[in-house]
Amino acid sequence: MSYLLMQSITKTFPGVIANDEVDLSVERGSIHALLGENGAGKSTLMRILYGMYIPDHGRILLNEQEIRIPNPRAAIRLGIGMVHQEFQLVPSLTVAENIALGYEPRRNGLVDRKTQRLQIEEILARFGFSLPLDKPIAELPVGIQQQVEIIKLLFRKAELLILDEPTSVLTPQEVESLFKVLQTLREQGKTIIYITHKLREVKILCETATILRRGKVVGRVKVADASEKELANLMVGEQVIDQVFPRSQGVGQERLTLKEVSALDDRGVPALKNVSFSLRAGEIVGIAGVQGSGQSELVEAISGLRPVKGEIWLNGRRITRASPRRRREIGLAVIPEKRKEQGLNLSTHILENVVSTRYYKPPFSGWLTLFTRPAERFAARVIAEYNVAAPGVKSMVKNLSGGNQQKVIAGREMIDQPEVLIAAYPTRGLDVGAAQFVREAMVKRRDQGGAILLISADLDELFAVSDRLLILYEGRIVAEKRPDETAFEEVGLYMTGHLHAG
Amino acid sequence: MNADTLANILFASLRVMTPLLLAALAGLISQRVNLLNIALEGLMLFGAFFAVVFGAQFGSPWTGLLFSILLTTLITLIYAVAVVELRANLIVAGLAINTLAVGLTSYLLVVMFNARGAYSPAGLVSLPKLSIPLLADAPVLGKILSGHGVLVYLSWILAGLTSLFLYRMPAGIHLRAVGERPEAAETAGINLKAVQYLALLLGGVLCALAGAQLAIGDLTIFNNNMINGRGFIALAAVFFGAGKPGLTAVGCFVFGLFEILQFRLQTSTSIPPQLPQMLPYLIVVLTLTGISLQKALRKKRISV
Amino acid sequence: MQAEPSQLEPSSPIPSAVEPKTLSLPPLVSSILRSLFTLLIALWMGALVMWVSGKDPLQAYQALLTTSLGSRTAVANSLLAATPILFTAMAAAVAFRAGIFNVGAEGSLYLGGFAAAWVGFTFTDLPAWLIIPLSFLAAGLVGGLWCYFPAVLRSRLQVDELVTTILLNYVAILFTEYLVNGPFLVPGVANAMSPQIAPAARLPRLLPPSQLNASFLLALAAALAMIYLMTRSKLGYEIRMVGDNPQFARWSGIQVAGVIEKVMVIGGILGGLAGAGQVMGVHYRFIAGFSSGLAFTGMTVALLVRNSPVGALLAALLFGMLRSGSATMEIMTDVPRDLIRVLEATIIFFAAIEFGSLVWRRRRER
Repeated sequence: MSYLLMQSITKTFPGVIANDEVDLSVERGSIHALLGENGAGKSTLMRILYGMYIPDHGRILLNEQEIRIPNPRAAIRLGIGMVHQEFQLVPSLTVAENIALGYEPRRNGLVDRKTQRLQIEEILARFGFSLPLDKPIAELPVGIQQQVEIIKLLFRKAELLILDEPTSVLTPQEVESLFKVLQTLREQGKTIIYITHKLREVKILCETATILRRGKVVGRVKVADASEKELANLMVGEQVIDQVFPRSQGVGQERLTLKEVSALDDRGVPALKNVSFSLRAGEIVGIAGVQGSGQSELVEAISGLRPVKGEIWLNGRRITRASPRRRREIGLAVIPEKRKEQGLNLSTHILENVVSTRYYKPPFSGWLTLFTRPAERFAARVIAEYNVAAPGVKSMVKNLSGGNQQKVIAGREMIDQPEVLIAAYPTRGLDVGAAQFVREAMVKRRDQGGAILLISADLDELFAVSDRLLILYEGRIVAEKRPDETAFEEVGLYMTGHLHAG
Repeated sequence: MNADTLANILFASLRVMTPLLLAALAGLISQRVNLLNIALEGLMLFGAFFAVVFGAQFGSPWTGLLFSILLTTLITLIYAVAVVELRANLIVAGLAINTLAVGLTSYLLVVMFNARGAYSPAGLVSLPKLSIPLLADAPVLGKILSGHGVLVYLSWILAGLTSLFLYRMPAGIHLRAVGERPEAAETAGINLKAVQYLALLLGGVLCALAGAQLAIGDLTIFNNNMINGRGFIALAAVFFGAGKPGLTAVGCFVFGLFEILQFRLQTSTSIPPQLPQMLPYLIVVLTLTGISLQKALRKKRISV
Repeated sequence: MQAEPSQLEPSSPIPSAVEPKTLSLPPLVSSILRSLFTLLIALWMGALVMWVSGKDPLQAYQALLTTSLGSRTAVANSLLAATPILFTAMAAAVAFRAGIFNVGAEGSLYLGGFAAAWVGFTFTDLPAWLIIPLSFLAAGLVGGLWCYFPAVLRSRLQVDELVTTILLNYVAILFTEYLVNGPFLVPGVANAMSPQIAPAARLPRLLPPSQLNASFLLALAAALAMIYLMTRSKLGYEIRMVGDNPQFARWSGIQVAGVIEKVMVIGGILGGLAGAGQVMGVHYRFIAGFSSGLAFTGMTVALLVRNSPVGALLAALLFGMLRSGSATMEIMTDVPRDLIRVLEATIIFFAAIEFGSLVWRRRRER
C-alpha cells in the first residue's frame, strides 16, 4: 500500500486547468520523480500537497488516512516538508535560528538556545551532516544553504520531503553531495518526491516516476524499466501535425547576429552562456527548450533590456549597447513574452497601445504635439488588417479577448514590415483560430523577406513554422536541427539535457 | 572647558536624546519588519498632546502618560489597519497621519483651551526626576547620569529590551524574518499580519512615550511645532545604526550632543545653527542612497 | 488561511486572472465621482470633528462658502490663496501621473523664492520688463535643479522619492533660513527676512485692495500648459504610459528613467515659480518659513483628483477657497481654520488606501 496517495486532484485557475484529475502514489522510503516541463502542473500539485493551494476536488491519503491540508503549517504537522527552488531562508539569521524558525524551544519567554542547539545537533549526527550553526546564512554557499533547508524540514519532523528542482542552482560538486544526502535520507526511511525535468538525475536517483504534461498524468513508470528516450517522449508528447507551413523559399543576408552572448538572470545566475547564432532574411528560426532555459533572457538581451557580454549585430550594425528605441529604429520588432505586463498597457485603448513604438516621429507627432488623426488612421489599419474584433480605435484593451489583444500587439510590431521580428510565445493561451492567424502572419512576413526568431513552448508549433530549430538547454545552444530532417523525440532529448551537441 | 561644563553638556545631551531614542526604537522595530515608518513625527505630536491635555485634566502627569499611551496606540491602530489590512501605501498613509496630527491638535487646542499653537496648563507638574542612590554622590559621573526624568531611564531600559526582543525572543526573531524574507517566514508558519501589527503598535507606544517626554518630561507645555523633524532625525539614527539598537542609541546620543553643542555655539560663536541642523536629513538621504548604490553595484559586479 | 497564489508563485503558469466583468462607467465620469466621494468623506470627517467638539458644522461650512465666494474681494482672496496651490498641485499631479510621489516642490518653492528675491534685491536698476522675467527664470532654474537630485536618485538607483523629497524639503527650508540669517541678513531687522525687492520687480495687483496679483495669471497659464502637456504632447503620452505600466513603456522603447527625471524637474520648476510668485506678488521679500506646507496641499489635490489635470486645476481653486475662507470662518463661527488640515489628512489617508494596492504592485516590479 502506498505511503502517499493523491487521487483525482483537480485545480483550476482562471482560464487554466493546472491539474486535471491527477493521481500520484508514492511508496515509503523511496525517491519518486515528478517529471514534466515547466507549466506541466508539477509545482501546482506539490503546492497542493504542501497546503499552499486548496484543490477543487480530489483526495489525499497519507498512511491510508484521508487528510486535509489547509495551509503549510498543517502540512508540517502531518510530516510533509518542501524545499522550494528559492530557498526560504533568512539571510541575517544564523543557521540554527533558520532551522528552528517558527518552532523555537522556549524558556522564560526567550528562545532556549541550549535546547535548540542540542536538538539540531542530534539531527545532524543522525544523518551525518555537519553545519556551522552560528554562522549567518548570508555567509554560506548555496549548497550548504540547501542542506540547511533539508535539516530544517527534519527538525520539523518531516517524513515526506518535496524537493523542487533542487539541482538548478548547484555546481556539479554540490549536486554530487546532494545526491549522497538524499540517498542517506532514503536509507533512514524518509520518503522523497523529486521534481525535475532532468532525466539523468531521475535515472541516478529515483525508483519510480510520474510524468505530467499540460496538467495531466501521461505516464507512471518504474525508472529501471524505462529508457531515457521513453521518458523524454512522455514529457514532450507526440507530434500532432495539424498543418505544416511551406518552408522558406531561400534565405538572404544576415540580419541579426549574436556572437558569444552571455547574460545573467534577475538573481544574478548565468542564464545565457556564449550563445552564438545568426538569423537571415527570409527565414524563421525557432528556439526550442524547456522553459527557464534562458529564453526570456535571450529575448531581453536582443531587445536591449538586459545587459550582455559578447556582441549583437543588427542589419550590419553593432547594437550590443544600443537603447531599445535605437534597435527598433534599425529594424527590430518584438512581441514580448508577457502579453499583459509587457506587451500592452491595459489601462488605455487600442490607439495608445499601437502607437507606443512610433508616436515620437512623423506623422504621429511634431516637435511637441501628438497628432490624433494619423494615430487614428494607423490604429484603424491595425484593426482592419489584423482582424481585431473591437468596436473602434478607442476600445479599452483590457476588454478584448486574449486573441484580440495578441493581434493588437502583432499588428503594432509587424504592420510596418520590420526586417527582424522577435516573437516570444506569440500564440500562448490563444484559441486555435487566433493562434493560426498569428502563425500565418509570421509566415507571410517571412515570405516577404522578414527574418523571424520564434520562441515557443509548443514543439508542434516550432515544427510547423520554423525553417531551422535551435535548442536551448541551460542557457546554451546545444543543437541546431532542420525540422523536416529531425524526429520529434530527438529534439525532446536535447531539450531535457539527455543529448549533447558534438 | 572644565569638568563641570563637560558634565553639564553630557547631562543635557542625555536629556535631549531621550525622545529621539524612544522614537528611533519605534522606527527601528518597524524598519526591521521592512516598514519605513514616517508617521513617527505625527505620532509623537499626538503623544505630546494627549500627555499634556489629560495630564492637565486629571492633575497628574502619570494619568497624562497613561492616556497618551492608550490614545496614541489607538491612532497607530488606524494607521496599522490601513497599512496591513487595506494595503495602503505606507508612506502616503504616514504623511496623512502627520498632517492629521498637526491639524487635529491645533484645532483641538483652539476649541478646548482657546490657545493658538502653544498650551501650557497651570498646575500640571512634570514627571518626577530620579536621583540614583550612590551614583548621585559620585563626582562628575553623578552629575551626568543621575537626576534625569523617569522616561530618560525608561528609554535606556527599553533600548535594552528592544535588543533582547529582537535577538532573543521568538517574536522578535520572527519579526526580523518577516522583514527580511516574508515568504520564508510564511512557510515557517509565522503570521505576517500579526507581526506587522505588533511592530507598528509597539512603535505607537514608544512614540507616545517620546511625545510625553517632550511635553511633560521637563516642562509642561504643548506646542504644535514641538516635534520639529525629530521623527525624521530618529529615522536618521536608525539608518546610522544600521537597524541595531545599540548603534542606534549611539546615533541618538550623537544627535543629542549635536543639539546641545549647537545651542552653546549659538551663544558663543557665530556658526549659524541651521547648517548643523541640516545634517540629520542629509545623513538619511545619503544612507538611503548608499544602500541603493550598494545594491546596484552588487548587481553590476555579477553582470560584468 | 489559504495562501494567495500571487504572492507565493513568482513564476506561475497561471495567466493573470480573466478580468471580472464590471459595470464600467466612462473613465472621466468615474474619476469625477471618485473625487467627489472622497471630498464628501473629508467634509463629513470635518463635520464629525466639529460636531464632537460642539461646533455647528453646517454653519461653519456655510461661513466658509460665503467668506470665500461672497464678494469680489472674497473671490480675489480665494484666487490669491489658490495661486501657489495651483503650481504645487500641478507639480504633484504631473509626477503622480507617472507613478511618482514628488513633494520636492516645497523645497523648490523656498529656494526658488529666495532666488527670485535675490534677483529682485540685487539688480535693482533693471526695468520691470526685464527684472520680472529674470526673477521667474532664476526661480524656475533653481527649483528645477533642486528636484533633479532626488529625481536621479529615484530613476537610477530606485531611492524612494517621497522620502528623499520630504527630507530635502527640511534641508531647503533650513538653508534659506540660514541665508537670510547669515549672508543676507538685513541689519536692524530682527526677523529672518531678506531685503525688499526693487519696486520694479513687484508684480502688479489685479483687483485691489486684494493682494491678488499677476502671478495668478502665470499660475493659470502654467496649469493650462500642464493640461496641454498631459493630454496632447509627446511627453504627456510617455508620462501616461510610464505611469500606467512601466514595463510596457520599457518594452516599447520609452526611456523610463528620463521620463521620471523630467516629471520631477517640471515639478521643481513649478515649485520655484510658486515661490517667486509669493515673493514678488505678496511679501516683496523672502521670509523664512513662509510656505507652511503648500507642496503637501498640492499633493493632496493631486491625490484627490488622481489622473485628471483639469480636475487638479479645479481642485486647486477649491483648496484656495478653503484656505482663504477658513481664516474668516474662524472669526465668524469660532471654528479654527486648522480644520482644513483635518480635511486634507482625510483625503490623503483615503488616497493612500485607494492607491495602496496599485503602488504596492508597481513597487514590487522595480
